[in-house]
Amino acid sequence: MRERFAHRAWCTIALLTALPTAAIAQQPDAVPVKLVVTPATRTLAAGDTMRLHAEARDADGRPVNARIRFQQAGGRFEGVVDTAGLVSAGATGGLTVVVSATAPGARPVIERVELRVVPGPAARAEIDAPRGTLVVGQRVRLAARSFSALGDARDDRLRFTSSAPKVAEVGSDGFLVARAAGSATITATTGSVNATRTITVAAGPIASVELTPNTSEARTGDVIRFKAVAKGPAGAAIAGVMPTWSVSPGNGLIDADGAFVGYDAGEYSVVANFGTRTSEAKVTLTARDVRRPLKVVGRLPRMRFTTEEVWIHPDGKHAYLGSGGGGDVLITMDISNPAKPVITDSLIENTRRVNDVMTTKDGKWMVFTREGASDRKNGFVIASLEDPAHPKKVADFTENMTAGVHSAFIYEQPKFGRHVYATNDGTGALHVVDINDPAHPKEVAIWKTPRADAGRTLHDIDVQDGLLYGSWWNDGLVILDIGNGIKGGSPSNPQFVAQYKYDLNALYKQVELSGGPGFIRGTHTAWRHKNYVFIADEVFPSSGVAGAKDASAGRAYGRLQVLDVSDITHPKPVAWYEPEYGGVHNVWVAGDTLYMGAYNAGFRVFDISGELRGDLRAQQREIGHLNTADMDGYVKNAAMTWGVVVRDGLAYVNDMYNGLWVVKIEPKPAAVP
Amino acid sequence: MTMHRRALLGAVSALTFACAAPGAAQVRVGNDRILTEQVPAPPTKEYFAYVGSESVDKVSLIRFGPKGATLDHAVDVGIMPTDPDGPHGVAVAPDGKTYVVSTAHGTPFGRLWRFRTGTDEQLGSVVLGNFPATTQVSPDGFYAYVVNFNLHGEMVASDVSVVALDDMVEIARIPTCTMPHGSRLNAAGTKHYSACMMDDIVVEIDTRQLAVSRHYMLTKGKEMGMPGAPPKRGAGAHAGMDMGGHGMEMPKAGDPGCSPTWAQPTPDGAFLYVACNKSSEIVEIDTKAWKVTRRIPAGNGIYNLAISSDGATIVATNKRDQSVSIFDRVSGTERARIKTSRRIVHGAAITSDNRYVFISCEGVGSEPGTVDIIDLVAMRRVASVDVGQQAGGIDTWAGPGGIR
Repeated sequence: MRERFAHRAWCTIALLTALPTAAIAQQPDAVPVKLVVTPATRTLAAGDTMRLHAEARDADGRPVNARIRFQQAGGRFEGVVDTAGLVSAGATGGLTVVVSATAPGARPVIERVELRVVPGPAARAEIDAPRGTLVVGQRVRLAARSFSALGDARDDRLRFTSSAPKVAEVGSDGFLVARAAGSATITATTGSVNATRTITVAAGPIASVELTPNTSEARTGDVIRFKAVAKGPAGAAIAGVMPTWSVSPGNGLIDADGAFVGYDAGEYSVVANFGTRTSEAKVTLTARDVRRPLKVVGRLPRMRFTTEEVWIHPDGKHAYLGSGGGGDVLITMDISNPAKPVITDSLIENTRRVNDVMTTKDGKWMVFTREGASDRKNGFVIASLEDPAHPKKVADFTENMTAGVHSAFIYEQPKFGRHVYATNDGTGALHVVDINDPAHPKEVAIWKTPRADAGRTLHDIDVQDGLLYGSWWNDGLVILDIGNGIKGGSPSNPQFVAQYKYDLNALYKQVELSGGPGFIRGTHTAWRHKNYVFIADEVFPSSGVAGAKDASAGRAYGRLQVLDVSDITHPKPVAWYEPEYGGVHNVWVAGDTLYMGAYNAGFRVFDISGELRGDLRAQQREIGHLNTADMDGYVKNAAMTWGVVVRDGLAYVNDMYNGLWVVKIEPKPAAVP
Repeated sequence: MTMHRRALLGAVSALTFACAAPGAAQVRVGNDRILTEQVPAPPTKEYFAYVGSESVDKVSLIRFGPKGATLDHAVDVGIMPTDPDGPHGVAVAPDGKTYVVSTAHGTPFGRLWRFRTGTDEQLGSVVLGNFPATTQVSPDGFYAYVVNFNLHGEMVASDVSVVALDDMVEIARIPTCTMPHGSRLNAAGTKHYSACMMDDIVVEIDTRQLAVSRHYMLTKGKEMGMPGAPPKRGAGAHAGMDMGGHGMEMPKAGDPGCSPTWAQPTPDGAFLYVACNKSSEIVEIDTKAWKVTRRIPAGNGIYNLAISSDGATIVATNKRDQSVSIFDRVSGTERARIKTSRRIVHGAAITSDNRYVFISCEGVGSEPGTVDIIDLVAMRRVASVDVGQQAGGIDTWAGPGGIR
């Protein structure tokens, strides 16, 4: 990266007269007590370089002999600093440089230099405007943004002008009024960069607007799609025109396509506006009323280690439970009677964490992961399930897996056979391992996100219909074709399909504010369901509340996002769930119900029927909640719900602190007259 | 350190101690045997040692005194509540007021943490490189040197981090070699030596220049001292090389490699001793001439070293042998080989009076980690205390009125 920047002649603002490792022998016996670092202005553009200078001085302000060195602090995402003080800014954000002056026997003098890396000069602009035709009298607000050559969004205020103000009059702030039929070119400008958009205005007059449905009755959270048709005096529809939408009261939303969702029960007005003509529809929402009681029908407390992943054998009669916190045991349970899970066996391995476990669809084989093995080989274990109650190990797979495997997913395709898709804890790479011969697993591919190694972490994997959904932490959701065919991918040759990356730091700013910088956050898990992918983040503060005690004082954060993948190459966020308290860890979807381990917020169940839009919590889509804290546990009286597997109407919920819970969602209680 | 994690993991229990009055006594060895034998007199004062448990994110304080050895307390270290942070290196500052712990795991980078001794008050942390491991505080107390072992992924050159402790900032990251491992400063604090497990070399850093000054090739028959940093080798240079289960597997027949896992200078800085894990030898290097002067046969899978403050005794952990060897440094004679209570013997820390050495044993799987205490006069193990799993980094502490 440094070489790339070095060749950007336009971006170099370095002062090349530097003495990079200054050793100024003016006061050789004096002790350095302070550093003077220049330049004082420490803002540079992404892609630029800057030379920092430093001079060590004694208590009287005189230069002294000292070893001066520059070192980048913290993450390695925003640039590179060499030991002589040359800063190469890679991306926008903050960059901290530590300048040290050291001398034998003297306390080091440290100066932290905070550099602000801003986007480069504006290189292009975009206008966000309605894609349809406007009609005379219609008013819309245009938006425009500018970007640097590297694609970084700038905060310029672009000025709008119209080539034909008598057709489309626009204020400098982008407020546009359609005045007369015709076309106008709208231009948004910042400096020498501009963007244009042609706006077409239809003559009208619009005699009427037909808004359908005119009245609606639905529940909170139901998506109602409105359609507004503008008609001329003769009653004919005017093609191509589109309204601006509004909804009142505000506790709901409607998008540019007319999809409305309301959060609270009550009356709503939806208005389609064509300037001189509007039409209003009434919506009556009743409460979603999906809340149901939960019942704990079975329980298997675990106290020796933390409890990790749970998995149900395809026969529905056996289940498996991982262990962590030094745990080297995979537990096998008989769940024929869910009210009384019984341990039938345990498989002890050279590991200190069995984080993930999964069986093949035919129930003949199992894979479970290892982290913390004493020989540091880790990898995963393949076991035979000829007797599901007594797994027998048949092979280890450890090649290139020294760091450990956090998650593994078994997926079978008629064309390619059976493979394990595993995460590499150390490199953040996806490893694909052929297990068609379970006793002789063979690595067939390694795939990494195309970026610098620093900060790459792959946390979880879901595969459906030949598409792999990788939760790649800092890189968001990455979708790969591993046999679907959309991009010609296969297990041995995964092909990139799409990525959905978002600003985790901005999303969880509150966590940094409450717990300090350096907090844990990343895209943690993904689940494909219908035309949606649910992704959940793992978020913890960098420190607990000062003075607090016990496990129950800690908390997780997080957001579940719903991505519409109707166009798989362009995942689009459409809905979200963010708990008021607690996190969003692993999810399971069965039918129209989403089950979630919410860490310290316990076990939660949601109604995800129908189309999903907006804030799912506000829509009262939560069906049930269970706090899984227990005095019988590895950690007492605190919940840390990990995840859930659903089988035969029962939720098998694993709590990291205290073991297994078997939970039933009870029918809706009968109304009491 | 999060408070809830302090409570998360249950306390580990003291296993045994055998410091009754001198004479015949019953000594419990490990978990299973009780022997009747002569035992040395217990110490008249208290000794302390901090030890990290990599798999359970704990640092334990061991107390050893007239009443035997006990686990004083354990604290949690790390930032990730649901994933292991992996405390690996532990080092007490020379003034005894603070200690530092490296946590090796991360996403992907690890950290160095600083705590106040006794109270365990956290004084700060700083993000370092990939798998920060062996740690030492400089004699002046200003810096910590931490090797970034980079155990995971491709075998590419890694580095040594230098942290200014008062500010808890990394002031230098010095590129060295592939898998920099066990490392120590000389007593003057002017040279830092680290072993390069996958390059078969040992690297010397000039701490005044914060740069590599020399390196030495340790492979038998290819020994050679060279100035400056070793050549940078890509991942392909290590194709086919096996880390041998991190020192747990026997080398292949005819393999002349050393696979160095520890570099220990003498207190006067005249000699450097390197543990060759693969060939089970100690290589002695004259630091002035920068030449190998001896190859001393050692225990199977020699791993970490410690040297007494008078320079007379070297203690070596034997990872593949479940034992500890005590060497007379001058003669190179192995004076004793003492079985440890558990497998995967890891670190050694000698008390400042050179009377005892604290040995950390990782154990396997869910076995607890264990700290064995060996009497260097009686040449026998006199106490054992269980701690959290995968006990590794260890260092002694003077304690409140105790002896370091």
